[in-house]
Amino acid sequence: MPIPPAIEFKNVTKTYGENTVVDDLSLSVPAGKITVFVGPSGCGKTTSLRMINRMVEHTRGEILVDGQPNTGRPAHELRRSIGYVLQQAGLMPHRTIVDNIATVPVLKGVSTKEARAQALELLERVGLDRSFAKRYPAQLSGGQAQRVGVARALASGSSILLMDEPFSAVDPVVRSDLQNELLRLQRELGVTIIFVTHDIDEAITLGDQLAVFARGGRIAQFGTPEEILRQPADDFVASFVGRDRGMRRLTFASASDVTIHPLQALETPWQNWQLKVEDGKPAGWLVDGRLIPGGSLYREGASLRDALDSVLSSPSGWGVAVDNEGKLLGLLKSDDVLDATETERQRRYGVGA
Amino acid sequence: MNWLSSNLDYVAQLAALHVLQALIPLVAGTLIALPLARLAVGRRRDGRSTELSTTAGKVRRATVINSAALLYTIPSLALFVLMPLILGTSITSLLNVYVALSLYVLAMMVRSSVDAFESVSPITLEAATAMGYTPVRRFWMVELPLAIPVMVAGLRVALVSNISMVSVGAVIGIQSLGTLFTDGLRRNIPAEIIVGIVGTVLLALVLDRVLAALGAWNTRWRKA
Ligand SMILES: Nc1ncnc2c1ncn2[C@@H]1O[C@H](COP(=O)(O)OP(=O)(O)OP(=O)(O)O)[C@@H](O)[C@H]1O
Ligand SMILES: [Mg+2]
Repeated sequence: MPIPPAIEFKNVTKTYGENTVVDDLSLSVPAGKITVFVGPSGCGKTTSLRMINRMVEHTRGEILVDGQPNTGRPAHELRRSIGYVLQQAGLMPHRTIVDNIATVPVLKGVSTKEARAQALELLERVGLDRSFAKRYPAQLSGGQAQRVGVARALASGSSILLMDEPFSAVDPVVRSDLQNELLRLQRELGVTIIFVTHDIDEAITLGDQLAVFARGGRIAQFGTPEEILRQPADDFVASFVGRDRGMRRLTFASASDVTIHPLQALETPWQNWQLKVEDGKPAGWLVDGRLIPGGSLYREGASLRDALDSVLSSPSGWGVAVDNEGKLLGLLKSDDVLDATETERQRRYGVGA
Repeated sequence: MNWLSSNLDYVAQLAALHVLQALIPLVAGTLIALPLARLAVGRRRDGRSTELSTTAGKVRRATVINSAALLYTIPSLALFVLMPLILGTSITSLLNVYVALSLYVLAMMVRSSVDAFESVSPITLEAATAMGYTPVRRFWMVELPLAIPVMVAGLRVALVSNISMVSVGAVIGIQSLGTLFTDGLRRNIPAEIIVGIVGTVLLALVLDRVLAALGAWNTRWRKA
């Protein structure tokens, strides 16, 4: 028996006066997966998301949460059963971090003591030290606040998490950390996540399923990231997934076929470039007595896109491969990587061999 | 100083009366102002809505704020004299002061409470709603605590203004530190006049500091 969808939109329409913002939306959100709503600004992603926990009331149609119409019980009860992470964290400035996380359990009538104990565990779960517990939100960085926001949403004990551009206000490095941790948390807890973003890269990184929204709250395409990149349903989707489509698609191709040349095996074919190694880890390139910082590293088992990037970003033209601990494995040759993309292309269309 | 040491009990008694006449209206006026102000602010729009507030909402807000401002323009002495006529109290009754000053506090606190409620971030309120707060609980647990910093600023002005206005009551025979001033003038005792003035100033300073400290304690989260 197939797992019933966690959330189901059935012919849902939202109008503001004359304005139809979401038009006849039908969509099944699979349980235990990350579904990303992606699309250009103003196309109704946020509105669709907020109709689920009735922060916005829909005009027509029906929304089922775990099989039950979401209008079947008081809005505040529904909301306590669904985690919600806002763009600006939205923590209560007058409450300590631990009490912020404990908000929903306390609203549900759990004793403060019990709720706080659970909050402390969640604090660690989202990668923050327990010493943050007694701080106030004003004392956190944007990234830390967002982690607390995620912990607060998880504290509801809900199996459904709604996230509206939660990482858009933090810098790219922190954002990628947060994305990775979200993926880890989702795998650990098996929760259903609906994630809104207008960043197609973020959507591809996180989504098991993407719903590409077009203006007017219409779904232009629904499918896995790979399906959408491979076969955009129409010109709109093609233009939205963008010019870098070719590069993005390499995200799904494995680079395991690319040879990693051990350093010793090579007779310094890179002329006067020399790789500096410290404690077994790459530490930049030496040329004419100067040390030049290295490019991106290819971590063993990563995608072809990472392999290509390590080659393109390397000062010497040789990609640097490392293992999971960051120890040097060897070098990637640009020709090998390009050959691999060629093989990938042929395999994709089922030609050549 | 001789005058003060031999009249210490009398001064202390007047000071206590003074504090009472200043604080009771402060509390009463504020308690009436809060619901009015909250009503004037209306339903807060959420953090992202582009909707303009309705015309009805704007009219309601302007009506409440402007009537409060109008109240404040009535001269205090006139109000003290009018009170017995309206309330049927004797002219020296403390009730006159309580009611008259409550009206002033009301006038001041409506305005600053409106500002206080409007200072609360709509994003925070929206987040609270999304967590599953009921409207009533959200008001007591989130909106009101977050409005306190701006409200305390208003309370401090109202308190100091009350302390100075209580003295006016002495002119029509209501006992307070102001009595020292009128009595000193009448009987020509400069020391008594000075004690009256200095005492009032000291009282204002001390109570203002206490209120500020209470406010700061309540809002530790702001600069923690
Ligand atoms: N309360 C409202 N009243 C009237 N129109 C609204 C309201 N809220 C949203 N809209 C309109 O609905 C449309 C969809 O808004 P929505 O916020 O869902 O878009 P979005 O896809 O989340 O965009 P973004 O990526 O910019 O966040 C917009 O055109 C917006 O102006
Ligand atoms: Mg949005």
